[in-house]
This record gives sequence, structure tokens and C-alpha cells, in this order.
Amino acid sequence: MESKKEQRIGVFICHCGKNIAGGINIDALMESSRQMQRGVYVVENKFFCSEDGQVAFQKAIQDHELNRVVVVACAPSLHLMTFQRCGEKAGIEPQFVDLIDIRKWTMHGSPQKVDPDQAVENSKKLIDMGVKRMRLKRLIPMIEIKAEQSVLVVGGGVAGLEAGLDLADKGYRVHVVERLPTIGGKMALLYKVFPTNDCAPCILAPKTAYANIHPNINLLSNSEVKSAEGYIGNFKINVVQNPRYVDTERCTGCGECIEKCPRLVIDSEYSAGLGKRKAIYIPYDQAIPKKAVIDAENCLYFRKGACRLCEEVCPAEAIDFEQQTRTMHLKAGAIIVATGFDEYDPTEKSEYGYGRYGNVITQFQLARLLDIDGPTKGELLRPTDGREPKNVVMIQCVGSRDKSTNNYCSNICCMYALKHAQLIKEMVVPEAEIYICYIDMRTTGKGFEEYYSRTRELGIHFIRGRPSEIIEETETKNLILKVEDPDIGRLLEIDADLVVLSCATIPSSGTGQLSQILRIERDENGFFKEMHPKLRPVETNVRGIYICGAAQGPKDIPDSIIQARAAASFADGELRKAKIKLPEFMVKARKLNEGGS
Amino acid sequence: MEEVYVEEFVSPGCVGCPAVREMLEELSVEFEGKLIIEEVDITVDATRAAQYGIMSIPAVAINGVLKFMGVPHKEELKKAILEEMDR
Repeated sequence: MESKKEQRIGVFICHCGKNIAGGINIDALMESSRQMQRGVYVVENKFFCSEDGQVAFQKAIQDHELNRVVVVACAPSLHLMTFQRCGEKAGIEPQFVDLIDIRKWTMHGSPQKVDPDQAVENSKKLIDMGVKRMRLKRLIPMIEIKAEQSVLVVGGGVAGLEAGLDLADKGYRVHVVERLPTIGGKMALLYKVFPTNDCAPCILAPKTAYANIHPNINLLSNSEVKSAEGYIGNFKINVVQNPRYVDTERCTGCGECIEKCPRLVIDSEYSAGLGKRKAIYIPYDQAIPKKAVIDAENCLYFRKGACRLCEEVCPAEAIDFEQQTRTMHLKAGAIIVATGFDEYDPTEKSEYGYGRYGNVITQFQLARLLDIDGPTKGELLRPTDGREPKNVVMIQCVGSRDKSTNNYCSNICCMYALKHAQLIKEMVVPEAEIYICYIDMRTTGKGFEEYYSRTRELGIHFIRGRPSEIIEETETKNLILKVEDPDIGRLLEIDADLVVLSCATIPSSGTGQLSQILRIERDENGFFKEMHPKLRPVETNVRGIYICGAAQGPKDIPDSIIQARAAASFADGELRKAKIKLPEFMVKARKLNEGGS
Repeated sequence: MEEVYVEEFVSPGCVGCPAVREMLEELSVEFEGKLIIEEVDITVDATRAAQYGIMSIPAVAINGVLKFMGVPHKEELKKAILEEMDR
């Protein structure tokens, strides 16, 4: 029995230059480690991860005939593999190499940094437990499992579709789960995209259309992930498809039902609250699937038991008021999470009066107004009186770079403000005066600085300052903004017909729930957390689950596409092996009564 | 009888975790200090949970082997610990 064999444990304490040695007394740690456990070999090195360090690591294992190793250094997500590989070369089973992180307590800039005495105490405790754990740990047999040649993609926006199409083209079966009645995500509602001012639906539609007809893609709209279990190669996922009350096999998308439906409601999803739709509706013309859906909350039949006009007029007999929630049990070898973002609700920034003043809107609402297929058919009209605004003020960083809401920069707001300013000036209301009140303009992508210059040349006014307050004139519903302009050194008062808030990008509403279902971590801002911010940006803490697009953090379309392809590549890299080696317990763990969370 | 290292995976909002914690405390007394119990909060140390492939908590690993996901019966937990002690 291997556990009865003499155990020779090595503790390798790494200085990580000054990252660890600068915040902790290494000698004290060495001494306490020696005293802590009998027969433990303790050694230090400036950088065990360096070429020299790795040679020293292997030599120490061989010279002292070590068979178990605890490396005391940085996070396992960074270097555990490095030391396991080195250990293997020196003859140690990789499972008997562990890495414990004490650098988090010592490194300059680490959020968990503590004072040197505390760092020594914490480290001693961790080393003690680590050595004990390693001493008692037994060798787990590895077994090979057959990897399911299918992938679950959560989110049918541009990132999810890109990843899904990539994998479907490679031959995997791909299930795309989308919470809303149509795929396409936010991009479908943007009208134009920077820096080319391409029509967003036009460049998105080839992807959505291809996903719709791809033989390897199973599109599940109106659906949500309810539970998941398993491991890489063999995830089992329960997906719930909410009823549309329309049989998608029969519905032809003709629109007869919509025409006859007597119930008109505010369309908060696809017109950002500025337009109306019926209780039975098709989200927009390029929706996929282009099938009607009944909004049960507003449908007269569901509310009052009367009407059923849609059922009467539907030539395809597709209306099905009895439709129930459907649960599907899916299997997938890997999961890609691409759940995107939501726009921050600026109501709590009461100084801007959003929700109280009718002519204060968000950039996402402006995008819908400018869209020729939007609620005003592309005319820029004020919500209060339908008049064309002549003075438009945009306020940047609403809910971003702001300690009281979100500290982070939302990355895309500078660019979409420039885009909307260009569109208004060039295509919609050329005589309009447009002001952009900003903290810094951040235009760092390819072609973005040129885009910014072009916007300036159009005569847009840039004011470096955030308005302190907006006041509404009761009769005209016009708005007065006060803003300090440091360039001319005085307080400006601007009369505006329309104020547009460039709101933060926040994690989409189901992010918390999904992170619990899939057991993947979130960062301090609520976005899904990558394994390493620089080196492993699409992997998560769960092997086989990858993230991409704005679900990982605010980003624009090109970055989302790159990340989606990277996530697909990772999934392919694991699944193409067809068989995956996993510890036996991972596959055979006894699953008992569901008492947990 | 040898010592046994028990890793108990928990999180602050977990419903079943206190029951497992209580069982382990009782067993620790019963086994007179032979149990080394480490409580791993998966919200703090998600990497460790990931190494075991843990998808639901509470979960219990004994001597580096994941034994239970969900709340085990106390007798089953005791049996698993005894098996490790007698190895």
C-alpha cells in the first residue's frame, strides 16, 4: 500500500523575488516548517518557477529521495501544473505535488495583503495543514472517460453564436440555450456598430441565420438552464423551455395574430420602453426563430379568461394556450457561458432625473430611436412631445468609474456615444448641436482614435466634466444642465432638448443564479471570473466550463468574437481527445440526498 | 489506527453544510483527535473544489479522495472514515 511506504515530504518555499520575501520572514517560515513535522525536508529558492529553480527543485527531489512535495508560493491556478510536470520528471506522481498560495498575503498590491507577522502566522498554519494533507493523501487511480461530443452554449448573443458555430462547424453537436424568445442578443438591437458604422443586424444576420439552419445546432429559445451536474466530458444539464403558447412547428410568422390582438403594451425588451407591441408579438423582423410568442402577463386570455382572438385568426392553428413548460435533459462534454450584459438602470442616480424627466434617456434607448426598424422608424423624436431635439447632451460614465455604483470602466460607452453623435449629425438631425460631457475619452481599439477625430471634425462639442445636476422646465420639458468646463475655467449652463446617459455595462440579470448552478466564480463586479486575468482569460475554476463575451467583463464586439473563438478552441482542445483522463472519485463520487445548496 | 484528513467543502449560504459540520464534530470527539478536519469555503477557495470536480456542496473528501456530495448519513460517513483509518 503506497500510504504505508515511507513518506519523504519536501517543502519548497519560494521567495518569488520580493513578492513573498519582501513581506514575510522566510527564515522564520523555514524554521517553523522544519519543527512542525518530523522528517520534512525544507528548502528555499528565489524563484522555483525559473529554469534554475526548476532544476534545483528536481535535484532536491532526487537527492533527498522525496516522494511528496508541497510548494509554498503562488496560486495553484498559476503554477501547479509547472511543478507537477517538474515533479513527474523527477519521478514523483503529479497528484503528490501540491502548491499552496502564501503570496496573496505578501505581494504588494494584493487585496488580501496583511502585515508581516500576520503573514507568517497565516503561512505557518497553511503549510502545517498542507503537509498533513499531503502526508495522508492517497494515490487516486485515474480512469478514462468517453467525452461527449457535444457542447452547451448558454446565451444566444453574438459571442455565444460565434462559439457555437465554430464548434458546430468542427462537428460537435451544439445546444444553444437562450432565455429570450429570439437569439441575437444585444447586438441585434444596436442599429449600427462602431468603428465602421455597419448595420448591426446586417452583419449579425448571417450568423443567426446560419445557426438556425446548421445541422449540428439545436437552438433552444425561451429557455433557461435549471441545474447541472457532472464533470468535463460528461456534464448533465437540465434546461427548461418556457411556454411560448405558440406551436413553433406550425407558426409561419405571418403576423395575422399580431394584427388582430387588441392588447397594446409597452415594449421594454426590444424598444427599450419607447415603443409598443401587442401581447402576442414577434420581437423584430430578423428574429430567429421568427415565431410569435404570447406575453402571458399581458394577454387578455391569461389575465381575464377572455379574447382568444389570435387563436381564431391563426391560419396555421399554431396558438396553443395549453402549452406547458418543457424540461429537457441534455448531455454536454463542455459548457460555454456567454450570457452577455445588461445596461445599468440609472434611476438611482437621481441627479440626472432618469425616470422623472421624460426627455432623459439612455444610450440603449437612443440606439432604438435611431434604428430605422425601431419604434420611431429612425426618426429622433423626444419621448415627451415627439419633437425633433436640436440640443442633445450626452453624459458619460453614468454608473461607471463611480465609487457609489460601479468602480470599473464599462469600456464601450465612449465609443457608442461617439457613434450616436455621428449618426445624429450625419444622418438624422444635421443641424443639431451635440455635447458630450466626459471624464476621459477612452478610444483604444483599432481604428477607434480615428473615429474619435472624425466625430470632433463633425463639430460635436466635448466638455470635460460631469454635470452636477439636471433641472427640467415644467412646461416645455426642456432640460438645463450645469457643468464645469475646466478648459475655459467656468460653469456652463446648457439648454438641452434631450439628455442621453451613457450607462454602465453590468452583468446580465441571471448571472448570479447561473454561477451557482454551474459552480463558477464571479469577480468583485459580478461578472464571471476567468482563471487568470491575463494568461487564462476564458477558462473558469471548473474544468470544461469556459466564458466569453461581456459575461466575462465589459467588451465590444471584436473582443467578444475573439474570446468566443478562444473558448471554442479550449472546448475543442479537450473534447477532440475523445477520452479524458480524470481522477476516479470525480466520476464515481457517491451522490446522496440533495441536502446541499 | 492512523490519522485521517477530512476536507469539508462548504459555503456561507449552504443549507446542508451545518448538518455535515455537526456530524464531523461528533465523530472528531468519538475518534479522539484522530480526525484532522479542514473546512474549505468554496467561495474563498474555489480552486480546491475545482480540483475535486465538486459541483454541489456540502461535499466531503477523505485523505484526498472525494467521498460524498450531498449530506451523507452519519453511519456512512463514519464507515468511510474507518475504512481510511484501517488502510
